[in-house]
Amino acid sequence: MKEGTAMNVPIRVLGIATVILWVFLAAYVGVAAYSFKDLDFGAGEPQFSASPDGTLLLTVPLYINNNGVCNLKDLNITTKFSDADGSEISTSSSYMPVVPHGQNATIFHNVSLNINDMLNNQDYLFEDKNLPASLTAGLTFAELLPVEISTNLTYPWGAPFYGFTIGQPSSSHVNSTHGGIVVPVSFENHAAFAVVGNLRVELCGSDDSVLGAAQAVFEVPPQTGYDDSLEFIVPLDAALATAVQGGHFNVYFSTILFDYGPLVIPYG
Amino acid sequence: MVEEKKKRQNKVKDIAFRVVRASVTAILLYVLYLLVSSLLTPVFDFVPWLAETIEVFVTVYIVLMILGDLTRGTIFQQFFNVARSLFLIGYLIVSMGDGVIRTSYESFSLTINLTMFYTFTVVLSLIGLARAILQAISYMSERAELASGFQQPQM
Repeated sequence: MKEGTAMNVPIRVLGIATVILWVFLAAYVGVAAYSFKDLDFGAGEPQFSASPDGTLLLTVPLYINNNGVCNLKDLNITTKFSDADGSEISTSSSYMPVVPHGQNATIFHNVSLNINDMLNNQDYLFEDKNLPASLTAGLTFAELLPVEISTNLTYPWGAPFYGFTIGQPSSSHVNSTHGGIVVPVSFENHAAFAVVGNLRVELCGSDDSVLGAAQAVFEVPPQTGYDDSLEFIVPLDAALATAVQGGHFNVYFSTILFDYGPLVIPYG
Repeated sequence: MVEEKKKRQNKVKDIAFRVVRASVTAILLYVLYLLVSSLLTPVFDFVPWLAETIEVFVTVYIVLMILGDLTRGTIFQQFFNVARSLFLIGYLIVSMGDGVIRTSYESFSLTINLTMFYTFTVVLSLIGLARAILQAISYMSERAELASGFQQPQM
């Protein structure tokens, strides 16, 4: 057997093996790309629910139509919400081990926000804000290709007591020893949930002494306003002092989701 | 005289055959590239630079392949084969780096981990390089055998 001929055999075998493997690789790339084209993702309307421990649960249904020929594996979705200072206030993850080819799947991605954690910044109660959020979705495509997509979003946070105002006190005569002080209270519920609870307001004089207190029960559905008046019954001299010297209100909010107060609002 | 004419005719035939063979291979490879690139169009939307680099790669690869086919039976064919294998490995190393592609599309950032794919292609390229080197060794040993007139007994 010639030396050259002896070497030709492994060379030929190597050549054939290489060609077969390259063809296999090209076919794999082609199939994977073709499958990628037939993937379809979508998101449904987010649903809000609230629990008494102050947790707001935002559920977002995510639809995955895998019409390609490759399975999707280790589907992982993570959302992180931060406050305006960049501190993380919520991290939520959803996981689906496999979405077989030719099938549709729905993932309910639950994002929980603890409103008590957010109350470090009272602006969330009284001002609409944009909450910075980051979304990361990862999956293993066509068995071998881990793919990750991420984006930064802003979630519009609606304040439950948007534009909360207590108007100037006006006096009314009740009897010979006591007078009535009436103050208008209003706010709008811009939150995605109903605010149900009660509002307690203390009327304080210029020397910080509590002259009187009043409270009101409210139940305000989302995107509606609250407009009412509170009446304080105070001794006549206190009523006179209120009208002349001014002071401040201490406002306490108590809802099924959270308690907040005092919010100090000066008057006079 | 007649034999010389025959030899020249054979040489012309041989060269024509090489040209046809190289052209057919190049056309087939280009058609394969067009088919695969049409399938990869959705990926190119996310990674626009990929289309350009793949085009450059295919062009250089086909040129080296044509040169290898045209110089078939000479030492230059071995050079071009080795060059082609080295170019493939070099291209993979330069274009894929650590095997992770990071790109941005509008406000989204996309990360594709091609490590497995990268490993597979580099291994295949190394096998191709090994084959090219073996071919060069085989060619040189055949030449040496012919030059020395040495021939092993048939087995």
